[in-house]
Amino acid sequence: MMISGGGGRSSWSSSTSSWVPTTSVSASGKRIQREMVELNNDPPPDSSAGPKGDNLYHWIATIIGTPGTPYQGGIFFLDIKFPSDYPFKPPQVVFKTRIYHCNVDPDGLVSMGILKDDWSPALTITKVLLAVRSILTNPDPYNAVVPGIAHLYLGDRAKHDDIAAEWTVRFAK
Amino acid sequence: MVSDSIAAMPIPSAANTKNPGKKKRTNRSAKLKQCKIDARREQWLSQSAVKNKGCKDGVDDDSHAPPSPAVKHTNRPLEPLNTGGRAEEDDGLIHHDSDSESPTNCPAGVLCGTDSGTNFTGSSSSGGSSSSSTSSSSGGCCSGNITEEEDEGDDDDDDGCLDDWEAMADALAADDKRENPCPDSPPVILPCEGSNVGSPNSKSEGVRFVPWGSGNSRAWRADDAFRPQSLPNLSKQLSMPNPDRRCVGGGPWGRASMPSSCPICCEDLDLTDTSFLPCLCGFRLCLFCHKRILEEDGRCPGCRKPYECEPVETEASVLGGSLTLRLARSCSMIERS
Repeated sequence: MMISGGGGRSSWSSSTSSWVPTTSVSASGKRIQREMVELNNDPPPDSSAGPKGDNLYHWIATIIGTPGTPYQGGIFFLDIKFPSDYPFKPPQVVFKTRIYHCNVDPDGLVSMGILKDDWSPALTITKVLLAVRSILTNPDPYNAVVPGIAHLYLGDRAKHDDIAAEWTVRFAK
Repeated sequence: MVSDSIAAMPIPSAANTKNPGKKKRTNRSAKLKQCKIDARREQWLSQSAVKNKGCKDGVDDDSHAPPSPAVKHTNRPLEPLNTGGRAEEDDGLIHHDSDSESPTNCPAGVLCGTDSGTNFTGSSSSGGSSSSSTSSSSGGCCSGNITEEEDEGDDDDDDGCLDDWEAMADALAADDKRENPCPDSPPVILPCEGSNVGSPNSKSEGVRFVPWGSGNSRAWRADDAFRPQSLPNLSKQLSMPNPDRRCVGGGPWGRASMPSSCPICCEDLDLTDTSFLPCLCGFRLCLFCHKRILEEDGRCPGCRKPYECEPVETEASVLGGSLTLRLARSCSMIERS
């Protein structure tokens, strides 16, 4: 009954062992395409995302700095790379625009719980973009990848904001 | 088996009087019913053995105790009142009794209506709606369960085949378990049987079956101290016997709020997947993604808690096909109510 219920996919799964890369790529491709459609239908505020070229697994995204933060007015470009076993593994999100932020390492790699251990296959790129936007508003200095920035954020918030605003003007406009 | 042929015979004739075109279908369902009767009979045989050893502790136990001669005597004068095929078979009485103890039933209206006097909800409708009393008694006599009730109630029955098939799977699986040599000491898998096969009676006939639940672990009741907590609560009997359930959704499993595709891989969910509820948070996904996740961190994508019902998965794959769907259905009942 299990086999008959599984239908056509039973043969698919039986061949998985010898054919892992291709099947997993096509499975994640369907999911990524679905996310692309949903993102176009219901884009998150002040951000956008889509495939960079014809490679479905390499997206580019933009986030506009939220007003009221030192990042306001800046346009930040991000690279999103989907692993072949997406969504079981998180995507990699990298700032291509330089940003002064304690959760973004000098190479631009975003460090967030949901992009590492707290990733859930139920999360989507839309939610990831919302999460990135939220750490621009509220940095997480206790899980920082740049300790100096986190230290300054905790010790001298005004100076931190000044530097961040200066970087925004210099790199993101 | 003599009783089987007798029990199965009236069905095609009754159907022919009603609608000759349905002969083919009824023949097939007659075969299915025969299988069910086999299963029920063995069920009853093993049960009566247990009962004869004596669990006569219930107040109303004797009102449906098959082996008790008193019951047969009270039943016997009723026989002439019933028409056609039923009056001739003594063995049929045994089937009725086994039906009345088996959980998914609503036995033939006449007998049970007069016998217990009350509360077989399905029996009244089946007796009332069918045009010929022969067909009603034969239908109830063979396997008077929910499926039959629907068959009698409305005669379109495109999914009658599916229902029969499920009921047969239930009966056969129950039969497999009945072959377990010692029904007195409930084996580990009995709760599953109770939850599926045994649940529907506790709504309408829960009072009647009180002695049985404790006597030979036939079915778990909601307030039973030994009832496993993982069992769903009274959900199947709330949804299954409802004749209007076809109106709720498209198929026989009418459910409006179901996602049509797996949120993880975006593949369409098939019947097995849609009846699969791996986590209490209600997050659904297909079996393939679930297996994949179990191989990695094993946490539910919806609530990030570790999956707790992994034994269901492994047990299902070990024990084989029919049980897989049964378990999955029992899992899924939680949300459907």
